[in-house]
Amino acid sequence: MSQNRWLATGNFYTTYREEQRTFSTHLDRTIFTLFLVLLFAWPMFFDLGNKYMFVVDNILIAIVAVMGLNLVTGFAGLISIGHAAFVGIGAYTVASVCRTMGTSHELVTHFWPLLIVLSGLMGAIFGGLVGLPAFRLKHLYLAIATLSFQMIFQWVINFMTFFNQGQTISIGRVYWITGKVGRGDHYEFWYYAILVIVILLGFGIRNLLKTKYGRALVAVRDNDRAADAMGMHPGLTKVYAFALAGFFAGVAGALHAYVFRGVGFESFTLHESVSYLAMAIVGGLGTLNGSFWGPVAIRMLDLQVEHLSEAAASYLPQGTNLATASKPLTFGLVIVLFLMFEPRGIANWWRITKSYTKLWPFRY
Amino acid sequence: MVYFFQIVVSGIVVGSIYALAALGLVLVYKSSRVANFAHGQIIAAGAFITYFLTVDLGVPIFFSFLASMVITFFLAMSVERIFLRRLIGEPIISVIMVTIGLASIIDGLIYLTPFGTENFSFPAFLPTTPLTIAGVSISWTQLVGVIITFILIGGFSWFFKKSTVGISMRAVSDDQFGSMSVGISVPRVFGLAWATAGLSAAAAGCIIGNITGLNFDTLHAFGIVVFPVVILGGLDSIMGAVVAGIIMGLIQQFATGYLDGNWGLNGTGDVAPYIVLLIILLFKPHGLFGIHEIERV
Repeated sequence: MSQNRWLATGNFYTTYREEQRTFSTHLDRTIFTLFLVLLFAWPMFFDLGNKYMFVVDNILIAIVAVMGLNLVTGFAGLISIGHAAFVGIGAYTVASVCRTMGTSHELVTHFWPLLIVLSGLMGAIFGGLVGLPAFRLKHLYLAIATLSFQMIFQWVINFMTFFNQGQTISIGRVYWITGKVGRGDHYEFWYYAILVIVILLGFGIRNLLKTKYGRALVAVRDNDRAADAMGMHPGLTKVYAFALAGFFAGVAGALHAYVFRGVGFESFTLHESVSYLAMAIVGGLGTLNGSFWGPVAIRMLDLQVEHLSEAAASYLPQGTNLATASKPLTFGLVIVLFLMFEPRGIANWWRITKSYTKLWPFRY
Repeated sequence: MVYFFQIVVSGIVVGSIYALAALGLVLVYKSSRVANFAHGQIIAAGAFITYFLTVDLGVPIFFSFLASMVITFFLAMSVERIFLRRLIGEPIISVIMVTIGLASIIDGLIYLTPFGTENFSFPAFLPTTPLTIAGVSISWTQLVGVIITFILIGGFSWFFKKSTVGISMRAVSDDQFGSMSVGISVPRVFGLAWATAGLSAAAAGCIIGNITGLNFDTLHAFGIVVFPVVILGGLDSIMGAVVAGIIMGLIQQFATGYLDGNWGLNGTGDVAPYIVLLIILLFKPHGLFGIHEIERV
């Protein structure tokens, strides 16, 4: 469909093939390619410094995790309150390799892409195991099952000496074709690595949702009995959704371990699980681009709130504990306000803007 | 043998507190099908209001206990009115996330006060020497706490069985459209369910605060640990909450008493409820007293 999109008044597809394309016009594809080039090129022109590059890396890791959460909660409609534990499974896979084979074993430093995939698979296995009750239950009961997995995970990490009882386990520096990735390039190197992974996984989800396996997820969410009648296996689909989410979380966890160069218990608590859920909701549940908006919005908000409360603390009387109070307060307010006034998230604003510019100057 | 009975006694004490804390969760779930993740925060708020009234304003502890129950009654009612009323009919994830968001907001508000970070304890108003029967000891605060818990649970059961409001609440939980057609205001019942849940949360908070001391982290952790209890009891049964609460309390105390220190285990009491929960979910998903829904996956 290479007609002039500036003259079109909507999307007209005449075949299913056309509708299934990732990009409907050449212009779309060009714009997207340019956007990707921009994403790869900007660090060469702006030097953010390690401090802010770290924040960017953090956002990208959260995007990987939230893409998985969006699959299980947004597309398959199963609430997961234990996503941080799955992320932790990935991170602790890398950490346990470090514990058994040494911090700078070749598997950790040279074959890190392999280890990232391995962590993803570990996450998928645990995701499938936790999803097993899905054969018999739904809704709230499943949510509580993931919650209990989160609590059991925290206990195991905190009380096992193998995992250093939740204290930081350090991870060695990785090697690239150019040699060891040093201190100065660390965050920039991982920016590129994670960016490639995000793009691959993003296209993966995009294509998955067009296959029967992806559509099965949505069908089970919308009406599982109808899906059952149409020949899908709802229980199996749910377990597979959990496994898929576990894979994404595991990959995110391994990346977290590498970027932070250490694995500690406090990055995988119940609070983190809740904030992943918040990211998915603020971004927009059941949309792919929502998984990009949400982490950016929440992480930036966290950063700004931290700055603001530091600035405001000097104007307040002694004893008011603004620094610890402001984070949960704004976090909770953002969740509640979004759910009350924009339950479809930032992705909905994006959709409105897109259709507005497309149809301008007409309203509809 | 004394050790065994000591564990049984402390299990029953802990368990009856769980039962009281679980009661509020069951009340809300029973009428409006909402799992309230902010329950622990309401428990903490109730306990802190009682402390504030008793210590800072000098009200006698019995009256401040009642006053904090009244305050949380209206607090929970207004929470329902402001935030949850407009979410009736929304998907379950929205409602769950709103309660999580509310939990976060209450967290923030409590962190603004000194209660968020420091430890407090209620002034002792009961004899401090524990009661000892045949070597098994129980402190007076625990004994009084258990007695108050059972009085409250009995009161709530009576309220649901006999009073008009209680019957209308049960009717709403059974069939919303049917109860609307006989003239029951469903939103009002939801509000009342939240209010009574708030009231029971304040009572639970005071009793926990008297036994373990006032610490925000331990108090709001109760909001999470009651989930295994209500699942074991079958989410919508008050009787189930009581039985499951005591079973969970016993499991926890036995795990702490017999597993900790052996085989390098530690802190098993914290995790045992969740392991039991996962097993229950796999084999007996609707709990001990829950209603078996015919519709399954």
